Amino acid sequence: MKSSKLITMTAAIMLTLSACGGSSGGSASPPPPPPPPPPITTAEAFQFLNQSTFGATSLEAQDVINKRFEAWIDEEMSKSVSLQLPYLRGLPRPQNLAELHADRVDKWFRNVVDGNDQLRQRVAFALSEILVVSQLGALIQAPYSVADFYDNLALYAFGNYRELLEIVTLHPAMGVYLSMLGNQKPNPVLNIRPDENYARELMQLFSVGLVELNIDGTVKTDGLGQPIPTYDQAVIEGFAHVFTGWNYAGAQSFPQAFRNDNNQTVPMQLYPAFHDDGAKTLLNGFTIPAGQTGDQDLAMALDNIFNHPNVGPFLAIRLIQRLVTSNPSPGYVSRVASVFNDNGFGVRGDLGAVVKKILLDDEARPDMHMEIDGKTKEPLLRLTQLWRAYDGASQSGVFPLAPAYIIFGQGPQQSPSVFNFFSPFHAPAGEIRNSGLVAPELQIATEYQNTFITNYFFLLAFNWNSEAEAPGEDDVLIDISAEMEIADDTDAVIDMVVGKLLGGDVSATLRAELVNMIGRVRIAAPGNDAALVAEAIYFVVSSPEFAYQR
Amino acid sequence: MKKINRREFLRHSSAAAATAAFAHYPGMAFSQGMGVSAPFGDYKALVCLFMFGGNDSYNMLVPRSTPEYNAYAASRQNLALQQTNLLPINPLTPDGAQYGLHPSMTGMQTLFEQGRAAFVANMGPLVEPTTKDQYFNQSVLLPPQLFSHNDQQDQWHSLKGATVSNTGWAGRIADLIRTNVANQQLATNVSLFGSSLFQSADETIAYVMGNNGPVPFTGFSSSGDPNDLFFQQRLAFERVLNAEYDTIYERGYADVQRRAVETIDLVQGALDDPGRQQVTTVFPQSQLGNQLRTVAEMIAARDTLQMERQIFFVATGGFDTHDDQVLLQPGLLGGISDAVAAFYDATIELGVSNAVTTFSMSDFGRTLTSNGDGSDHGWGGHSFVVGDAVAGQDIYGTFPDLSLGSFDDVGGGRMIPTTSADQYAATLSRWFGVDESDMVSVAPNIGNFIQQDLGLFI
Repeated sequence: MKSSKLITMTAAIMLTLSACGGSSGGSASPPPPPPPPPPITTAEAFQFLNQSTFGATSLEAQDVINKRFEAWIDEEMSKSVSLQLPYLRGLPRPQNLAELHADRVDKWFRNVVDGNDQLRQRVAFALSEILVVSQLGALIQAPYSVADFYDNLALYAFGNYRELLEIVTLHPAMGVYLSMLGNQKPNPVLNIRPDENYARELMQLFSVGLVELNIDGTVKTDGLGQPIPTYDQAVIEGFAHVFTGWNYAGAQSFPQAFRNDNNQTVPMQLYPAFHDDGAKTLLNGFTIPAGQTGDQDLAMALDNIFNHPNVGPFLAIRLIQRLVTSNPSPGYVSRVASVFNDNGFGVRGDLGAVVKKILLDDEARPDMHMEIDGKTKEPLLRLTQLWRAYDGASQSGVFPLAPAYIIFGQGPQQSPSVFNFFSPFHAPAGEIRNSGLVAPELQIATEYQNTFITNYFFLLAFNWNSEAEAPGEDDVLIDISAEMEIADDTDAVIDMVVGKLLGGDVSATLRAELVNMIGRVRIAAPGNDAALVAEAIYFVVSSPEFAYQR
Repeated sequence: MKKINRREFLRHSSAAAATAAFAHYPGMAFSQGMGVSAPFGDYKALVCLFMFGGNDSYNMLVPRSTPEYNAYAASRQNLALQQTNLLPINPLTPDGAQYGLHPSMTGMQTLFEQGRAAFVANMGPLVEPTTKDQYFNQSVLLPPQLFSHNDQQDQWHSLKGATVSNTGWAGRIADLIRTNVANQQLATNVSLFGSSLFQSADETIAYVMGNNGPVPFTGFSSSGDPNDLFFQQRLAFERVLNAEYDTIYERGYADVQRRAVETIDLVQGALDDPGRQQVTTVFPQSQLGNQLRTVAEMIAARDTLQMERQIFFVATGGFDTHDDQVLLQPGLLGGISDAVAAFYDATIELGVSNAVTTFSMSDFGRTLTSNGDGSDHGWGGHSFVVGDAVAGQDIYGTFPDLSLGSFDDVGGGRMIPTTSADQYAATLSRWFGVDESDMVSVAPNIGNFIQQDLGLFI
């Protein structure tokens, strides 16, 4: 208490000092002002924005260049949240609620393509790939619940992870997905024991992971060089007993708690008669005493998990992988985990501070084209980046991409299981695996899926652009009118396309092939300027360099 | 500083990898790059059916003789099937009990009774034979992270035991036989369900297609006509893929795309070949039905592609029945049974029922006890093997004592496997043609088990 207050006061003093420009008015001569930082380049701004938004645009890049990174982040963090649930609630309720998932996905695209709160949405999406619930499975009839779960990820994207863990734990979407909802105390006569599903995955996938970690994310080993398991079956059973007695809120009784349109977006409620009130063994040998209420048990159990030293490095690795690079150095992980452990004001779990550290760390701003820096772009982000760069919009305003997971191998809250679309540890055969590195997104980059995506981009570029004749009202069209103005000039078209999509940073090979193919389109389809623009866009978005996030 | 070190490290490894990459391309580069061993001279295929989530196989294969059924029902309580609803099966080798199948598995019942299917009882990943005492004394090596989905999937795929492995046993088979099948136009391993550890290898790369087969590139032509825009488009696209890239991510992505472009004409051409065998068997309209229909089509195209050995990976999910198990299992198990039965019929139609063996794997068996309306993650479980090479109508291994607290139960009805996944893999590999001296490469823990072959094949 005392010490944290002291830290806060010191910080306040330092803030005051810097606010006065550091001139202390003392007798010593003031130190020379630091040289102004070098201006941010367009390429750096694109790099930064592809880490922090759903796709860099030239306009946004200029904004970053003007404001610089930190001020841009601060502004983003103060923006209001784009939500999904109010939109879904405003739509007519279909007979078959599953149909609303199409609208949920539509709203997700509206928010991430056109929403103002880009950083928040990007972090929420990253969190949705860690704290996974999916429309595929038991939640197919609960679109309001799935949307509300995502809204909570967005609301708490810069909040505290302890609070978010509690919200996630008590959310009926998670309750259904990992079957904590309806989980009841043991009934020895009927051989019924508490459901272990949520207990296990909460630890394995949402917080501490399977083995003990150092703060830099490397695996701790015992005297024999073996990894040290974080927990065993007894601990899972301990947590499984903690998570008993919860069901949909507002029911007459536990057995009468059934889902309706309203309770699927309200935190689960404790039904004390169904909660096990025995003692429970948790992580690191901690035991919670018998005779507590379910709320007390829950609070102590989540504290026990949240305060485990693994959570910082565990979450640091996963968030860095979603935003910046597949292979962060131990130092990078350690620096981010340290901020998780203490945001500088004695607070543990401050996600806003963690996100800021991830994006402002030197390792997030490497020289261009370093061999292991950056990551494979998530397939869905290739699409959103294209739409953001080219003002993708349909006449109806709809983004009709309900089957995103089929086309792109991933979609918003459309994971095949709680293990997400790809594993943080996936190492494709060849040089990546041989070097002990990983490339999670390449797990879904199969011959089949990549071809499917490439074909979709072909269709999009040629058929769904602003020159399309009689487009459908839900067709999302990219605006190529600026390119049409300069279509006579091949180099100018290429400059514009690679400027919008790659921040101007294009390889010699790709540029040469763009010249080649535009020339051939001019011959094969004289006067069809839209085709040559489409050709250029298609070639860029299906290239390895666009599939890479620098 | 770290970057320079890692870059240098990479440069070495990528040079080695590039050499290897050239060799494992499907098609001509394959036979050019390496020595050639004697071809097998015949055709065989293994089809791995993976049930993601952990199949509750204790409700797939159930004792129906009354004492054993009563033990089952006492343990399973509200998860138990009705004794009278079980589909009777009659194993040739009696063990004193009688058995039946889940009522949804009529197709499997027929295959079993006709001698075309067998079960392997209570099987799972083991490093060495394990008793309950040894489990609790920790006096034997155990597969790490028992009861965890991805870890136990990895165990089934890799058989790695306590060691780290990035290869799967199907991948290792493909590497071992690669000089025998040097004439094959396509990789030995084909997946219908994305990339998997099962088929991952050091030297060879599995080919991934969709449920309904591969997908051709829109706007590409292979006409060879220099005035054909779509032919030029394909050439330009390939030149972009073949460019040198600075980062492992671009190279990794380009590798996949390059394989896709180079392989599609070959595979699509073989599938479109009007001279090949046709498949008229009707498959269920399901993800698994589509996958197995495509496998049948690929087998029908085997001669065009000069295939001698193939391992197909098909899969379906939804088996993690923590909730609503009684309601969900008819669809899950019935779906498996119907699709497998249709696939067997297709192998009859193609005249390859002796050459194609379908076998099942899943994350783990599940707890016998209920969590209210479902079951949790267990360990040992039952698998099935189907095909005319199989010595069918029998249950292999030892059926466990389903009483809670039995010598097979480590708690809550989690069964210690009495047959190991290594024994299963070794038996399947031996039939497939893996040399005895290579068996330890396929199944690293096989030496810890006295019975090295389960005798599943005629």
